Amino acid sequence: MKNLSDQEIIDSVLKGNESDYSIIVDRYKDKAFSMLKRMLKSDFDAEEVLQDCFLKAYYSLKSFKGEAKFSTWFYKIVYNTALTKLSSKKRKIELEMSSVEDHFSLKSDYDSVDVEKKDLSKFMHEIINKLPERYSVVVSLFYLNEMSVEEISEVLQISVSNVKVMLYRARNSLRDLILSSKLAKEII
Amino acid sequence: MIKITDDILNKYLDGELNPEESKQVRTELQTSRDLQKKFNTLKLVHETLLNLAEDEVSADFTSNIMSKIGHKKFVVPRQQKYFIFSIAAFITILCLVIFGFSISAIISTSSPPSESLNVVDTVTVLSSGLIDFIKHLFSGKGLSILGSVFSLVIIISGYFFFEMQKRAKADLGNGHHL
Repeated sequence: MKNLSDQEIIDSVLKGNESDYSIIVDRYKDKAFSMLKRMLKSDFDAEEVLQDCFLKAYYSLKSFKGEAKFSTWFYKIVYNTALTKLSSKKRKIELEMSSVEDHFSLKSDYDSVDVEKKDLSKFMHEIINKLPERYSVVVSLFYLNEMSVEEISEVLQISVSNVKVMLYRARNSLRDLILSSKLAKEII
Repeated sequence: MIKITDDILNKYLDGELNPEESKQVRTELQTSRDLQKKFNTLKLVHETLLNLAEDEVSADFTSNIMSKIGHKKFVVPRQQKYFIFSIAAFITILCLVIFGFSISAIISTSSPPSESLNVVDTVTVLSSGLIDFIKHLFSGKGLSILGSVFSLVIIISGYFFFEMQKRAKADLGNGHHL
């Protein structure tokens, strides 16, 4: 059952086997949680919003026509629900103001960071959370959720070139941080 | 010769450059130590991100979701479908009975056809028959039957309207407003 495609599981749920929806939940919960955690900067809010997203998706399954992949459709729900949550926290204006054209720098937060190769993964986790919301969402969707830039552009409702710009900037920013750390000596 | 910018390095990493551009980048990387350092670090970032572990939700997350979904169904219950169908059938039969009754009333009140009767006379006879039937329907016993039928239809419609309202409210409560 676990090897079934998303569409096959959805068909089964729509036929009345509602317990099959738990396969979908298990399949996407951690990936979507990682994305939400980075957007909302809170474990509690992320889990609450994620519950809401799975319920929304369940009650809207009939409207899912299979034109796009289920994952794209679902992450669109996740992203929009997170935006609503952010706006309720009066942070949407902030988010919208941080457009693709805005530049950001993580250097001020990590001026003299001493990161070693063994800590790199942990350090990266921490740094991604410091990225502006939309940048961390792009990084999460691209790396954790293994989505293509085309799929990400559909989820975020922005152009493919803007997704690429955001991805490159996020990577460059992380690279510059590492280059200014002790780890740079090991890489050379 | 292309200028090796950060964007070019990112595109090279993602394999988005054409063979000619890729060759140029490779040559530059072999000659410039600074560029090599930049690219190696970018590659390290890319590889670390690829192996980044997912965050995990609480252990009972799935069971919580499934219990919330519970017995609610998003399809119209079969029972409700049958009920709607039976109401539609009842109204159709009622219309057919009224129509049939009116036709028979018209025929019974009209005089036997004669050769002298022209089209105008036939219409006059038929219309007077129809008027008599309507008069009969809206007077005394006929009116009370008609009233009962309409009351029944109104009560049934009211029940469905109430059910629809309840359903819409429940849907909104579940965030079904995408």
